[in-house]
Amino acid sequence: MAMRARQKIRAPRKGLASSKGDDFEANWQALSGSLKRIHTKDASDLSFEQLYRNAYNIIVTMRGHDLYERVKQLEREWLETEVRSWVNAAISPSLLFAQDALDIQDQANERRAAGERFLTVLRETWEDHQLSMGMITDVLMYMDRVVVADHRKPSIYVASMALFRDIVLRSPVRPDTKTTVADVLESTVLFLVQLERSGQIIERPLIRHCIYMLEGLYETITEEESSKLYLTSFEPAFLEASKTFYQKEGQRLVESADAATFCKVAMERITEEKERCASTLSTLSESKIKEVLDNELIKRNIAEVVNLEGTGVRNMLDQDRLDILRSVYVLSSRVDSKKAPLTAVVQKCIVDMGQEINTLATAPAPAPEPTGKKAVKEKEKPMNQQTTSAIKWVDDILALKKKFDAIWVDSFMSDQVMQSAITTSFSDFINSNPRSSEHLSLFFDENLKKGIKGKTDSEVDSLLDNGITLLRYIKDKDLFEAYYKKHLSRRLLMKRSASMDAERQMISKMKMEVGNQFTQRLESMFKDMTISEDLTSNYKDHIRKSASQDSKPVDLEINVLTSTMWPMEIMSNTRDEVQLSCVFPREVESVKQSFEQFYLSKHSGRKLSWQASMGTADIRATFQRPNGKTQRHELNVSTYAMIILLLFNDVAPGESLTFAEIQSRTRIPDHDLIRNLQSLAVAPKTRVLKKEPMSREVKPTDRFFFNHEFQSQFTKVRIGVVSGSANKVENNDQRKETEKKMNEERGASIEAAVVRIMKQRKTLPHSKLMSEVLGQLSSRFVPDVNMIKRRIESLIDREYLERVGEDPPTYGYIA
Amino acid sequence: MTDRNVLRKDQLEISLVKEKELIKEGNLKDDNPLDLSEPFAELCSACRKGDLKVCQEKITEGVNINARDAYDYTPLILASLCGHYEVVRLLLESGALCERDTFQGERCLYNALNDRIRNLLLEYDYSKSTDPLQPLAAHLASLLTREQPVTSDIVVTAGDESLHLHKFVLAARSPYFRNKLAAAPESPSWKLPSTIPPQAFGIAIKYLYLGEAPRDLKSGPGTGFTESEVFEGIDRVAHHLEIDTLLDSIIDSGDRRLARQRRSTEIAKGRDQLETWFRANVLGNKLEVETSKANSVKWDRENAIFADILLQADELPEDAEPGSEPKSILFPCHRAMLLRSEFFNTMFSSMFREAYVKDHLHIVNVDCSPEVLEIVLTFLYTERADFPLDVAVDVLFASDMLFIEKLKTKAAVVISTLGSGNLSQSEAAKTRGTTEEEELDIYGIIRAAWMTRVQRLEEFAARYLAYRLEAHIDSPEFAELIEESASRIKARQETDSIELLDDIRFYLNERFRLRFDDAGLGEMMRNAAQQPHKAPPAGADADGTEKEVEKVTNGIDTIDLSKVAAPASQQDRDHHAPVIRTLDGEIAVDEFDKDAANYQILMAKLDAILEDLNLEA
Repeated sequence: MAMRARQKIRAPRKGLASSKGDDFEANWQALSGSLKRIHTKDASDLSFEQLYRNAYNIIVTMRGHDLYERVKQLEREWLETEVRSWVNAAISPSLLFAQDALDIQDQANERRAAGERFLTVLRETWEDHQLSMGMITDVLMYMDRVVVADHRKPSIYVASMALFRDIVLRSPVRPDTKTTVADVLESTVLFLVQLERSGQIIERPLIRHCIYMLEGLYETITEEESSKLYLTSFEPAFLEASKTFYQKEGQRLVESADAATFCKVAMERITEEKERCASTLSTLSESKIKEVLDNELIKRNIAEVVNLEGTGVRNMLDQDRLDILRSVYVLSSRVDSKKAPLTAVVQKCIVDMGQEINTLATAPAPAPEPTGKKAVKEKEKPMNQQTTSAIKWVDDILALKKKFDAIWVDSFMSDQVMQSAITTSFSDFINSNPRSSEHLSLFFDENLKKGIKGKTDSEVDSLLDNGITLLRYIKDKDLFEAYYKKHLSRRLLMKRSASMDAERQMISKMKMEVGNQFTQRLESMFKDMTISEDLTSNYKDHIRKSASQDSKPVDLEINVLTSTMWPMEIMSNTRDEVQLSCVFPREVESVKQSFEQFYLSKHSGRKLSWQASMGTADIRATFQRPNGKTQRHELNVSTYAMIILLLFNDVAPGESLTFAEIQSRTRIPDHDLIRNLQSLAVAPKTRVLKKEPMSREVKPTDRFFFNHEFQSQFTKVRIGVVSGSANKVENNDQRKETEKKMNEERGASIEAAVVRIMKQRKTLPHSKLMSEVLGQLSSRFVPDVNMIKRRIESLIDREYLERVGEDPPTYGYIA
Repeated sequence: MTDRNVLRKDQLEISLVKEKELIKEGNLKDDNPLDLSEPFAELCSACRKGDLKVCQEKITEGVNINARDAYDYTPLILASLCGHYEVVRLLLESGALCERDTFQGERCLYNALNDRIRNLLLEYDYSKSTDPLQPLAAHLASLLTREQPVTSDIVVTAGDESLHLHKFVLAARSPYFRNKLAAAPESPSWKLPSTIPPQAFGIAIKYLYLGEAPRDLKSGPGTGFTESEVFEGIDRVAHHLEIDTLLDSIIDSGDRRLARQRRSTEIAKGRDQLETWFRANVLGNKLEVETSKANSVKWDRENAIFADILLQADELPEDAEPGSEPKSILFPCHRAMLLRSEFFNTMFSSMFREAYVKDHLHIVNVDCSPEVLEIVLTFLYTERADFPLDVAVDVLFASDMLFIEKLKTKAAVVISTLGSGNLSQSEAAKTRGTTEEEELDIYGIIRAAWMTRVQRLEEFAARYLAYRLEAHIDSPEFAELIEESASRIKARQETDSIELLDDIRFYLNERFRLRFDDAGLGEMMRNAAQQPHKAPPAGADADGTEKEVEKVTNGIDTIDLSKVAAPASQQDRDHHAPVIRTLDGEIAVDEFDKDAANYQILMAKLDAILEDLNLEA
């Protein structure tokens, strides 16, 4: 039926036709009354639909813009007449005038109470405003959609927030002052924050809500993030106040001169400020306040704190105060990625401690080498002491290293920068000890001989690892190699190694650490040893097969060493002085010849040179006691000692041989002969020979008797050679010797490197060549620049290289 | 256009064959089923002719717009082939598919008569368009997670999770719940047997709320159930709640195309269920009371149809029977569905009276006629928006007031299609007499368009006016309208052009130009356009010209323009330019000249109006 009635599509029923004025006023009356009720929180029985319809009708009659302005006006009036007076009433004079009164407790309390009262009121008005505006916006939804879009106005909510900002916050508190509510809010909040910083408890949520307000209000109606009132007005003031506060606090703390306290307070402040941003102020400020803290409190003072006399980092390191060290580290790393003051102190500390260890190790340095024979006896002791001190040196360094490793992990959070700083320092002081390579090698020697007995594999492993760490610091690795080789050769030849496994392990560790080239020779030493074992057993077989003659063959255990791989100085004793090899007794000589025959039949074209100084022999000696009894002992002596003792086989009882006689008959080098005679005739427990006159020194005129009264509770007696057999710290001469040899070897290495490089590059400027050489050799040692220059000169002389240019000086390779 | 992603012909054919096989096996539903029914044939014919009105009617009747005819043409192909831009747009908006890489979709694209249509088709490419029912489904699904305002009225506890659900949704979607709730409509909570995995129930509920079937069953370690247990649970739940398609949906969720089809079927089914329930319970329970007594109606909160709000619409004064009390109609509704309107959403979220829960249901007055409110509710509950032209303007206003954008668009579409008559054949429309024009108060429409800010309606009105400008141009009402349009712009202070006038000029141009273009005689048109300038008296007598135009059009309808004839006539005219008016026999030549003249006359008149107004202002 409706269809019929409306054949033609009607013009819109609403608005247009009706009388505009009355409708508008009537609708507005209804609407404005309700809006006021919303503000007075009396809205629960208002009908949304009705209010919406009122607004809708106004807008449909094209009066939307008027409505917008009316609502704004209504809001303005409401804020001006009601809200502003509430807020202003809540501001007590103490808030207005006591701007900086933190000093007097009473005033502070009063101000605090007043401030909290004020904040409560402000917070309530704000929240009410927000709530009512939310509801009003809901009702005026249609207006926002239509009018606002048409006229490019901010939505009514935004507009009313701007009104709140201007009318409530930005208006003077009293007619006669310029101070605005926002100012009071700012100073009050800052005051409360100040209170909290000085340790009092304040009502955080209250402040937080007021800050919410500042975060919810904007400078502009477009509401950009950056125009939040919080960011434009409150935050700068807060940061400024914090800056002054922390400047003062930093000063105070430094003056009180206790680094630990400083760190503790600073750490607390950091967490405190972070928490304050999260729970009292705004998280927006977190990074900014952090910056203030970093700059004002930490950056300004950290260097001073680190260096504080008596309580600074130095002290912490000494006292192992890891927790505080950690704080120092954390603080430093906040402001400076390099942590310059901290690293400087730590490095200095390490170097100082290291130097202490160095001096301790070298303190009982060998007094100027006594030249006379008189000194021989006395020399014994300091030498031993030196060995122990060398080992102590290594142990001390390891302890130090361990300590700093712990500090690094615990306090410095495994920081890379700190690690490299520590490493450099260690390397510095270790290399500042010229004997570091020798000491370290001695340390290994000691441990491989005795130290590792009764230890588990993993213990051995970590022990070796520790040593290897030190090796890492040592720059002159070739020097270390030389010492190690020497020590190793002794261990191998004298069979003093506690465990071959450990030895091999050590080699493989070094291989990993320093490289293949470094261990090549050491490995070949091991190889020689195994080959020799085979050789020995082969020779025994050979003897047994051809055993026709004597029923008492001399057992021969032989080590054939490749001369280039083993330390030179083992052989040097015979080489240095042009001397014939010693005369072996007949029995031994025949064995020697038989072996040479055997060996050369297998490897033709080789030359065997016999190192009597390195060998040992087991001999059976019969002692005729004066009471007629005979006593047999098996003596384990050095080869030389054996030769000497065998001489006495031909000497009638009671007869004697002089030193000169022995020497001429054996042709044992003086040096060795003296030592062997000392061990046979002087050492109290192994006095197989008697000497006349009885003294420590061995003089060419001394006479020696076979000592039939030799007593020992053991059947087997080991007679060591005085010194030389054990690895000990070298004396100055030896060291010079070693250094000389080292330099020769280095010279060869440098030449090799230069030739290698030039062969590849053909021509190269001087500076480049230098840097490449340094680069190639740095893993082994730090070459002396002058030495390289000299070597280059020498290569030019020998026509390996030629000068091809002068500016810059350039070399060419001569093929 | 970048055609790089177009399939090669052989690829297309292969996929076509595969698709056919699938359809034959029944695995895949045919997107374009063959339809030989009479209404579909009518739709196709309307699409050929570009008859917007008939198209809209047929679509409203429920003809499948994605079907194909005996020659494998879909309505969309026809419309785009015949170059009816408006029809193409209507079809696309109503859910016609134009998917690239499908046989039919590509046909649409390469058949498109001009670039404008082609671009429109590309805009609506399937990947961008959505199932028309998707908003409804999305809303229902969102109810499960929505916290404000509270709309749920039953709590189902499954394990240690509890789901806040809506009785009316359950009742509408599941026969099981319907029976259960019918037995005890008041029960505020329901506990799930512990044997059913909560996940399974959750999935089933989500399914009932038209959410997507999950890819992942949320089983495995940590949940306490294995996948097969959950699966079995779902099976049991589905059986229990009588939602037999759930399991298939989950199994098929791997195949995207199949899943999509299943989903749209399921959503359509869900909508139908909701609709049935809505019609039976909401509309079935509406009550008519005298307006004065409406407020005394008390509906208990606990009621059999789970309504939680009453909407009141007062009868219009002019509909009321004379002498009797004004009547109102109350609809029992569910907030959960009303939330789709921003108006109601705000109403229930804000802290006004309507938001508080009381023993008796609130009665909320909605400022529209009961008829319109029913349309609005139908849309909110079912996404259906089929209504006749005569209430379209009211629906437009109501949906604008209630912030239901889609319904508003729909109303605009109804007005601009059903009200259009047949624009592209304006001459024909005119000959059909004047009754049609009276159907529409175009001035009212344009004002409504302005008030409700519907661009489409403004355009429609401008086009409408442009095609019938002869009838309106001299009326004072028209001048007033132009002035109003001008003042609207002044308020905005954007530019000094008048929007309505610009629009009218545009469509005027289109109206005449279209005819020339159709005939392929664009060049001639340019020549013709110069003619009136040479002979100003020709355009002076507008009335006379129009009469002639009518006379001419009477005759021309039957005469087809042949391209052979055109050049010939052009030559003729060039030679005999001064004698055009006297040569009555040369109809074809006259036709174009008349158009050109008319165009110039109308444009001049528009300028005159503008001048007048500017002087007045």
